[in-house]
Amino acid sequence: MVDFSRVQKELQECNRDINVSGISVNPKSDNLTNLIGTIPGPIGTPYEGGTFKIDINLPDGYPFEPPKMKFATKVWHPNISSQSGAICLDILKDQWSPALTLKTALLSIQALLSAPEPDDPQDAVVAQQYLKDYQTFASTARYWTESFAKISSLGVEEKVQKLVEMGFPEGLVRSTLEVVGGDENMALEKLCSA
Amino acid sequence: MDSEDDMHDANDAESLDDDFYSGETAMDSDDGDAADYEFIDNDSDDSDDLLSRRSQQNYTILNESDIHLRQEDDIMKIASILSISNVAAAILLRHYNWSVSKVNDEWFADEEKVRRVVGLLEDPRALPNVKELTCGICFEVYSSDSMRSAACGHPFCVTCWQGYISTSINDGPGCLMLRCPDPSCSAAVGQDMIVSMASHEDTEKYQRYFLRSFVEDNRKTKWCPAPGCDYAVDFIVGGGTFDVTCGCSYSFCWNCTEEAHRPVDCDTVSKWIMKNSAESENMNWILANSKPCPKCKRPIEKNQGCMHITCTPPCKFEFCWLCLGAWSDHGERTGGFYACNRYEAAKQEGVYDDTEKRREMAKNSLERYTHYYERWATNQSSRQKALADLQQMQSIHLEKLSDRQGQPESQLKFITEAWLQIVECRRVLKWTYAYGYYLPEREHGKRQFFEYLQGEAESGLERLHQCAEKELQTYLTGGPSKDFNEFRMKLAGLTSVTRNYFENLVRALENGLSDVDGHGGSSRTGGTRSLGAGSSKSRGSRSKGAARSSRATDDSAHWSCEYCTFANAKSATVCQMCQQRR
Ligand SMILES: [Zn+2]
Ligand SMILES: [Zn+2]
Ligand SMILES: [Zn+2]
Ligand SMILES: [Zn+2]
Ligand SMILES: [Zn+2]
Ligand SMILES: [Zn+2]
Ligand SMILES: [Zn+2]
Repeated sequence: MVDFSRVQKELQECNRDINVSGISVNPKSDNLTNLIGTIPGPIGTPYEGGTFKIDINLPDGYPFEPPKMKFATKVWHPNISSQSGAICLDILKDQWSPALTLKTALLSIQALLSAPEPDDPQDAVVAQQYLKDYQTFASTARYWTESFAKISSLGVEEKVQKLVEMGFPEGLVRSTLEVVGGDENMALEKLCSA
Repeated sequence: MDSEDDMHDANDAESLDDDFYSGETAMDSDDGDAADYEFIDNDSDDSDDLLSRRSQQNYTILNESDIHLRQEDDIMKIASILSISNVAAAILLRHYNWSVSKVNDEWFADEEKVRRVVGLLEDPRALPNVKELTCGICFEVYSSDSMRSAACGHPFCVTCWQGYISTSINDGPGCLMLRCPDPSCSAAVGQDMIVSMASHEDTEKYQRYFLRSFVEDNRKTKWCPAPGCDYAVDFIVGGGTFDVTCGCSYSFCWNCTEEAHRPVDCDTVSKWIMKNSAESENMNWILANSKPCPKCKRPIEKNQGCMHITCTPPCKFEFCWLCLGAWSDHGERTGGFYACNRYEAAKQEGVYDDTEKRREMAKNSLERYTHYYERWATNQSSRQKALADLQQMQSIHLEKLSDRQGQPESQLKFITEAWLQIVECRRVLKWTYAYGYYLPEREHGKRQFFEYLQGEAESGLERLHQCAEKELQTYLTGGPSKDFNEFRMKLAGLTSVTRNYFENLVRALENGLSDVDGHGGSSRTGGTRSLGAGSSKSRGSRSKGAARSSRATDDSAHWSCEYCTFANAKSATVCQMCQQRR
């Protein structure tokens, strides 16, 4: 059984210094086992300027077992599957410790964005490119960041309008958009499943 | 058999012989017959070798409590040498794969480094001296007396420790290397702490892993691979073979843990096993346990271990299971009594190439493989059958036989010995087919010699198997027979002869048939020197001995001694076995 009291504490703690870290964790639905994490792309990397969403799933044994995390935002990175968003990171596997938190895990993922480890690849194609042709790798990664990780150029109001036109009440649309960090598609998903 | 006793009488070749036959001293009944088999151990040095080789074991069988004792022993040893606690000693030993000497060396070379790597702190830290502490896992605040820590002093509440320990134990043997949950800390969590907080069930699991680790992570020990067997085998590497026989009676190779496979080496076995799985689809048909009778075409199930098959009445056709040829063709005329190993010969005789298509197939390597595989597999199943027969013999037949023949069961050990020998021979013979498969075609002399030896082995074993299986039947079903003692002599003699022959065969093959193409006359290097013991009949029946020597003339690399049948290298002018001139 997930230790929900600890998860609650983690969420409060994490969102308290969101302005400093830029990292946030929010419940995806009412139950606390499915969460969405957000990390800003590190400055000085091809991911700069992007906002990356991480799907978080807490197993029954959490925090004694590691949280399951994968990228919900498409990303071009040697240790992250360009297809599935699966992440190759030791602390999400055997190096997990119950004294780590969702926030420290997200920080590690952010660090991974800054410092890929192409020798332990999750996506062999990307890793090959990273090692053999860094320039192409960097521009592809930048392009993916532009295409998938930037809050769409649509303003908030336009998104609200679009979703309202689909038949959802405006108040709910606004609060949902806020929760998912302005991601139109995720908001739609959440609205449909509610 | 009791080798201690044998050693006392070692200078008396007669009594040694007796022991070889049956483990009984009672050969008094018919001295004349016993003399018939004397030549078996015509040189008593040989049997001395044999006995001492057998009693010298380079391995020890361990049951669970032995393992436990040894483990405790090693822990205490390290604890006292390094002046550390038993718990710390256990952590160290586990880290260095239970090698006492390695722990010693590393520790005295650089204690500080070892402590760091293993997570043993020199100065344990207590919990911070405050009233309340926050648990590093659940982030709740507790009074410090309900908190626990490893030697590093990082505080976690008991509930979180329990969750941490339980998750780790249920994750597998990694729990033996448990560290403090703090990600920046590598302090080891000792067995005492784990046991004090784990549930009863988890503690049992943990202890299980702890014991298993002593076998599995230890370079000197391995579990017996037999299903359901709980013994481990401690092996002293260096010198001698890897074959071990577990307390459960399963024999296996300690090195590769496959079933015992002398005379072939581990590489050949793994190549062969891989080959078999690659070819297994093609081979399925071979494993089918029935073949049509070559005469009446009714399906025949091979239900006895020996290759001599008799079709059910009214047909009663007698044929060879391997080549489906008439059994009557398997006499001297076709070059070998009971022998059916000669693939090349069979091909030349036209058994395999009736048609053009067959001729093409002959070129196909599959057919070559099939030849060896089929014989390998047949010996394997014959061995299984012999094992089952042996068990039945021990559980039912011996008692019955004892009744019928008015003999105490203690006088019937020779039958058990015969069956044990059959089982062992089937195993060796089986592996000679893998040996043959990998023996290069171009080594003509070796191949010919090999096939000759294998043929002899096969016929010797068939004789023994026949005797133990079929001839025994009459005594099982009939009343007391005056021939029974004669039967005893014959079976015990065959057992001994066959044992000798196979032991020499194994050595010869292990030596890579080194006597061939060398200066056979000058080397008496154990190899093939006493293989001639293969035929017990040669003394009693001169005609067969003669037939054998004439057969050997078409084996150009060897000549067969007329007196003892030993296959000598061409270059030798004197028989290596009995010193008779050619
Ligand atoms: Zn706690
Ligand atoms: Zn610690
Ligand atoms: Zn065993
Ligand atoms: Zn082996
Ligand atoms: Zn028939
Ligand atoms: Zn045959
Ligand atoms: Zn001779």
